[in-house]
Amino acid sequence: MKNKLFEKYFVFSPYFWLVLFFFIPLAIIFKISISVSEWGMPPYQDIFLFDNGFKINTTFENYVYIFSDYYYIGSFVNSLILALISTFFCLLIGFPLAFYIATSNIRLRNILLVLVVIPFWSSFLLRVYAWKIILQNNGILNVILLNLGIISEPLQLLYNQYAVIMGIVYTYLPLMILPLYGYLNKFDLNLIEASKDLGLNRIKTFFKVILPLSVPGIVAGSLLVFIPVVGEFIIPEMLGGSDRLYYGKILWEEFFVNRNWPGASALAFSGIIILVLPIVIFQIIYSRWSQKNEI
Amino acid sequence: MDNNFLVIENISKSFGDNKVLENINLNISKSEFFGLLGSSGSGKTTLLRILGGFEKPDTGRVILDGMDITNLEPFDRPLNYMFQSYALFPHLNVFNNLAFGIKENFTQKEIEINVRNIAELLSIEHLLNRRIKQLSGGEQQRVALGRCLIKKPKLLLLDEPLAALDKKLRSKTQLELTTLQKKLKITFVFVTHDQEEAMSLSDRMAIMKNGLILECSSPEEIYENPKSLYTANFIGIANIIEIYKKDENFYSDDLGINFKLNKELKNTKTNILLRPEKIKIQSINNLKTSSFNSFSGEILEKSYLGSFTRYEIKIKNMIISVLDQNFNSNSNYNFPKGEKVICTWESESIKALED
Repeated sequence: MKNKLFEKYFVFSPYFWLVLFFFIPLAIIFKISISVSEWGMPPYQDIFLFDNGFKINTTFENYVYIFSDYYYIGSFVNSLILALISTFFCLLIGFPLAFYIATSNIRLRNILLVLVVIPFWSSFLLRVYAWKIILQNNGILNVILLNLGIISEPLQLLYNQYAVIMGIVYTYLPLMILPLYGYLNKFDLNLIEASKDLGLNRIKTFFKVILPLSVPGIVAGSLLVFIPVVGEFIIPEMLGGSDRLYYGKILWEEFFVNRNWPGASALAFSGIIILVLPIVIFQIIYSRWSQKNEI
Repeated sequence: MDNNFLVIENISKSFGDNKVLENINLNISKSEFFGLLGSSGSGKTTLLRILGGFEKPDTGRVILDGMDITNLEPFDRPLNYMFQSYALFPHLNVFNNLAFGIKENFTQKEIEINVRNIAELLSIEHLLNRRIKQLSGGEQQRVALGRCLIKKPKLLLLDEPLAALDKKLRSKTQLELTTLQKKLKITFVFVTHDQEEAMSLSDRMAIMKNGLILECSSPEEIYENPKSLYTANFIGIANIIEIYKKDENFYSDDLGINFKLNKELKNTKTNILLRPEKIKIQSINNLKTSSFNSFSGEILEKSYLGSFTRYEIKIKNMIISVLDQNFNSNSNYNFPKGEKVICTWESESIKALED
């Protein structure tokens, strides 16, 4: 009987985790987002007031505020575009790499997999900082290009959206490669040979056989990159400039600079809903599709 | 018949230090059903993959219908390859699997007609809308075959075409495959480790071992007159007896009896092959032991196989296998274990092996 109880707990442990670390914090954020802001600590009023009898003290002003100012919506759109572009480049670089790893012999495969994972062993901040050193005006890249005579004055490589995209692609690439590798590893290589045998050249074989059968891996890897990049704060902060404002940065400023906790919470909560709802809908449609197609 | 339809010339292939094929030469005729038989590691599949274009040989050439195809990519070769795993596309239904190789060059209407025709030929019309996972092994095999045949290849390569089927389905499919091949007159080259499969399908077959072709001939010739000890043992059941010249006849120390051969031997000492079904088994009361080509022994083991009974008969230092056809349903004709019997055979049933 003890075992039964343990099993029950064990099965439900992911849900405990979800409730404790996702739903409760989310509820707190929602609570703050509908609170009335004020000067003080914390910088918002309670939503339940008891001084003159029971009174509910909520407002949707914060939502109206962020949705009426393009400053906030624009930053979210910027982040979505950034996430889309970064995911695309991660896929573009990650897919051939994952495919190569999955189809190479077992010894080479293990070495390559370790190489993919190695960056995780050093601090994320350090790695992004290293890019600053490479890309700055008197950085390694500019010095090399100057010495080779390719350029006559240093290029402004840092503090723009391209540096941000590069930094994100570099950082998130393993998150694309690993799930892709997981799927491609199971790929029956005879299918590629069969396609060639039936007269399709390499490019046609890629689009007719390899790509359709890799959809689950592509979806998994893309979601793993796309979702966190939307809220990415550190990389745009360190490598980005003032040319583009991103959602994570605005959120930070609203919380810690403006001390507008209700407004920031409304922004965070809206962001989650806007991001999660389409993904949930997509997942439902996709799982139906893949069941139908038995991939 | 044109003996040079498919010419395999001096093909060698190594993977690292491992020599997989050594100087393979084969000539295969048009419309021939040709088998490559060997145990695993004999190089048979590598040879087939070289024909398919999936491996490049280190040396040598492959010439198909007068065209050197050695350096052609698989998609440029006028032949098709049926994989052991069938390699059907799981994301496509049966129709689209069949149409996969002709979609490029045909109109929608032509594709439809071609798919219907091939489905009819293989009696899989009712499966066209199914997904691959919904098919049985036998059905998958037909789809894989159809997907190749729809391209009307000059040569069809089959890697262990029946290995994934259960035994009953296998013998049925064996028959269908030969009928189909004779009807379509397409040259088939297939690989198998199963000697029965090789014998029943092949017009001619090659026995491979360690990257070499030991023998290449019709199944009858290979069974009845194998040249090497390896082939004799590999195909069917073999009694191998070492004999040497003694006076006018040949003598075996292991059996302690004389052999009379109907032709002279090159060597004074040699191995001979005596197939178990060539030996006649009789009750000891019926006959006296003759001075040669017969022995008396004791039945050690017996297994009843339906149409045959297999006996293991001990005589002196050897155990000889004998297959006795069950002519009569009277079980008295079966000899019990431990019984003394007399075995005899004809002189021409004794085959001398070269090595």
